[in-house]
Amino acid sequence: MTSTILSNLTLPFTGILISLVAYMIGMWLSKKSNGFFLFNPLLVGMLLGIFTLMIWGKLTHMDTAAVYTKYYLPGGNLIFWFLNPATVAFAIPIYRVSKVFKKYWFDIIVICFVGGFISLALIQLVCKAFGLSTASTASMLPQAATTAVAMPIAAGVHGVPAITAMACILNAVVIYALSGILIKYLGLRKISPVATGLGLGSAGHTVGSVKALQIGKVQGAMAGVSVLIISLAMDILVPLYAHLFM
Amino acid sequence: MKNQHREGEKKAANIIVQMGIFAVVLFVSQIISSMFPKSLVVPTPLIGMALLYILLELKIVKLEQVERFGDFMIGLIAFLFVPSGVQLAAHLNIMRQEGLQDVIVIIISTIILLVVIAYTGALVMKIHHKITNSQPDQQPKEVIDHDKHNLV
Repeated sequence: MTSTILSNLTLPFTGILISLVAYMIGMWLSKKSNGFFLFNPLLVGMLLGIFTLMIWGKLTHMDTAAVYTKYYLPGGNLIFWFLNPATVAFAIPIYRVSKVFKKYWFDIIVICFVGGFISLALIQLVCKAFGLSTASTASMLPQAATTAVAMPIAAGVHGVPAITAMACILNAVVIYALSGILIKYLGLRKISPVATGLGLGSAGHTVGSVKALQIGKVQGAMAGVSVLIISLAMDILVPLYAHLFM
Repeated sequence: MKNQHREGEKKAANIIVQMGIFAVVLFVSQIISSMFPKSLVVPTPLIGMALLYILLELKIVKLEQVERFGDFMIGLIAFLFVPSGVQLAAHLNIMRQEGLQDVIVIIISTIILLVVIAYTGALVMKIHHKITNSQPDQQPKEVIDHDKHNLV
């Protein structure tokens, strides 16, 4: 009887249930704390999910990684798959602002490629300064791209996609927490709205887009556009950069 | 514009049709993605995003045929990232060794990305406006003077 119940746990329902409950607790905490930045539903969901698997491993005397692969992954993969259509759907907000996009498309591409390349060099320097391993450094490079794109890029340059995913999630948390201060002290209201939007979108992904929209319409539109163009830039630049400089 | 939008929503395509369009886009993107060499990985969703944008721009696909499902998926995106985050559970040994450094590097990298892209952008846009001799959008004059100060 117990073994029948236990065999059910390897079905996708387990991973889906853990993800949903962890995320819902995150939503509840975020609401109760009036949006305190560390209680962002995604961050809480991720940490609670990992924590659950660690406790599970302790109780059943299994390695956490083994619990993850056996019980969480079947459901996790199902949810993960839906990132494909969700990422494709970003074409819609870009199409809605296609007027601004068409006006500045060349500048946007130049900015994302040149700025992206400079950022890669600086990020590699920081990784070196903190003594990160080559695998971790490679995982840090594609973080400007949107998560569903950044992970395969990281895998392509021998990084760890899980670290890249964490980087993308933390990017959003950092921008959520610090964007007010950064916008003020970096003078981001005073420079070109196109530039501000692209910067916030590349650094903070979807959260960056929301923050950019709060400054202005052009900024918000550009942050949306940056999802596509900076991902494209990273896709081309990261393998090239890793090949040349790592 | 607003009226058009309303009309579009009225005629919104059946949700199955909307999902079908996404399925076709993903299917074609997957085939295109698999044609790239191993040294240049172009992820399927990236091709899909570009493809759907082109289809919308060419009016082959209309906004109301993808809007409802697309907006629904974008609304879900934070939740969809949960499994990518939980993936770390399989790499706890790395986190124990250099998790703290990783987090610090990520925080610094976020700020680097914001500063570098925004200021490269400011420079490129300034050159653009100088070449075309046009006025930047939405910028009061005094602010532009200030901008010069910041950059030089």
